[in-house]
Amino acid sequence: MGEVKKHETPLMDDLKSGPWPSFVDDIYNYAEKKKKQACFDIMGQMELSYKNRETHWKHGGIVGVFGYGGGVIGRYSDQQEMFPSIWAFHTVRVNQPAAKWYHSSALRKLCDMWDHRGSGIVNFHGSTGDIILLGTVTEQLEYIFYDLGHQLKMDLGGSGSNLRTPECCMGMSRCEWSCIDTQDIIYELTMAFQDELHRPAFPYKFKIKVSGCPNDCVAAIARSDFSVIGTWRDKIKIDQDAVRAYVGGELKPNAGAHSDRDWGPFDIKKEVIDLCPTKCMFWDEGQKKLYINDAECNRCMHCINVMPEALWPGDDRGAVILMGAKAPILDGAQLSTVIIPFMKLEPPYDNLKNLLYKVWDYWMEHGKNRERLGETIQRIGLNRFIVDVLGLKPLPQHVKEPRSNPYIFWKEEEVEGGWTRDVAEFRKRHPA
Amino acid sequence: MDKEALKQKIMEVFQKKAGGAGKSKIYLKDLQREIPDANPRDIKNAANELVKEGKLEYFSTGSTVMYGLPGVGMGLEAGMEKPEE
Ligand code: HEM
Ligand code: HEM
Ligand code: SF4
Ligand code: SF4
Repeated sequence: MGEVKKHETPLMDDLKSGPWPSFVDDIYNYAEKKKKQACFDIMGQMELSYKNRETHWKHGGIVGVFGYGGGVIGRYSDQQEMFPSIWAFHTVRVNQPAAKWYHSSALRKLCDMWDHRGSGIVNFHGSTGDIILLGTVTEQLEYIFYDLGHQLKMDLGGSGSNLRTPECCMGMSRCEWSCIDTQDIIYELTMAFQDELHRPAFPYKFKIKVSGCPNDCVAAIARSDFSVIGTWRDKIKIDQDAVRAYVGGELKPNAGAHSDRDWGPFDIKKEVIDLCPTKCMFWDEGQKKLYINDAECNRCMHCINVMPEALWPGDDRGAVILMGAKAPILDGAQLSTVIIPFMKLEPPYDNLKNLLYKVWDYWMEHGKNRERLGETIQRIGLNRFIVDVLGLKPLPQHVKEPRSNPYIFWKEEEVEGGWTRDVAEFRKRHPA
Repeated sequence: MDKEALKQKIMEVFQKKAGGAGKSKIYLKDLQREIPDANPRDIKNAANELVKEGKLEYFSTGSTVMYGLPGVGMGLEAGMEKPEE
């Protein structure tokens, strides 16, 4: 290993002075230990970017691994003379296991591989969910791909106009609120859609995320074109003794999560009943009994989060399917919209797969270049998307609130006499 | 349209575009526009097979993907070629 060239980085060094452990420390410690030129160069280039207030990365290119049209993102420094070891600094996306459970030996192997074949810098995890391996050269890509597949049994994730790596919350692996088996669903979809994941198929990116309950820990509603969120159709299950134990102070609200400060005695009216967004709860102080009008409940999870030992999601479980979330490139950020208020989800999830195929078939044909699904829906109208594209019936759950998205229009065949009926005749009987 | 005929059509589109002042990199959507009588999924499958055969190559920014003829137009972005040792 030859001499390494270090750079002066006063602006980077300043970041070490904050209260939290700094990535600057991490990268420099590693760089010193392994004598990695790329890590010194990356700090040098970042210093330059802080100074000039502009990026020195160029992106785009033809790099990839054989047979795949995604998973590797070409990155190049525009300061090749100053930072030669990062002239190519490609990103590799690795498909994370569902809910991100690892055996430590797998992580060790992954780190050893990356130590050897890349910069050693990683990001657990990128916002799509993948493990992000930051920085390698073109010649290493096929070896990395081989090691991942053959030694680690890991695969590349999605990038570009592909299906992006599907992601889920920890679901039933740790969370009693999960109404669906999020990990199984993600595994099934990932295996079923290998072609879409590895080869460009779409006008733009497409993300699928699955949360087990409306707490939506992976923010599916905000971050995925196709959001699956666990919910239930029947009533919230109530253990009245446990409710009384919360009111009497024997059980800690929110499982003690806010016990770092004294918030005074638990007040069920103030902390639960009054905060129910649909005002469908009632605490009878005389009877010491909690009532819920489940027909009005919108499954926000608030009461369940506050009194987890007294309340649970019901037993008739499934998921709500929402579509169209995106970040603000065009028209501002947008949350997903309810398309199917309730769907039972059992392996092998054919109903879910068929719905996805239907959406993709339409979007592949009619979506414009770089148009996210949410923008396509906006362009043609939610009405047409639900009725004409998906062949579904409009439902009250599609309406956010009266008059904010009134999209239900009559078609000619639904109106007696159509558009051409004799209005004069009509007006004889009904003067305007 | 059978797959081989479709692949043939796709290559013709590329040769037409690459010749003269045309674009060297194009999107799947552009192929669909040029071959309106084929199903978008079939076009996608055929184009991806052409990449496997080495007749086309991907060009990706990370957020979208385009297709091009190998060696035509920008391979890496201009100025991205590896410096001489
Ligand atoms: C069978 C009888 C009726 C039906 C089915 C009916 C239906 C409707 C519907 C569908 C709307 C539109 C709601 C919306 O846009 O959010 C509406 C609005 C309205 N209706 Fe009726 N209606 C009926 C009788 C009446 C009667 C008898 C009156 C008054 C004498 C009335 C007064 C109104 C008014 C003032 C509005 C609001 C109009 C506006 O905001 O532009 N309706 N009705
Ligand atoms: C001094 C007298 C009145 C004032 C200042 C007044 C004011 C208003 C205002 C500000 C609105 C809301 C408009 C909007 O949000 O677009 C409204 C709506 C309305 N007003 Fe009046 N109004 C008066 C008298 C009346 C009377 C006498 C009637 C019926 C006999 C009436 C029937 C309505 C109806 C049907 C609406 C539509 C409600 C809806 O679309 O939800 N108003 N009025
Ligand atoms: S989204 Fe719901 S089920 Fe999933 S981890 Fe969060 S609270 Fe649990
Ligand atoms: S889940 Fe939300 S809406 Fe339903 S009863 Fe509880 S607080 Fe109210």
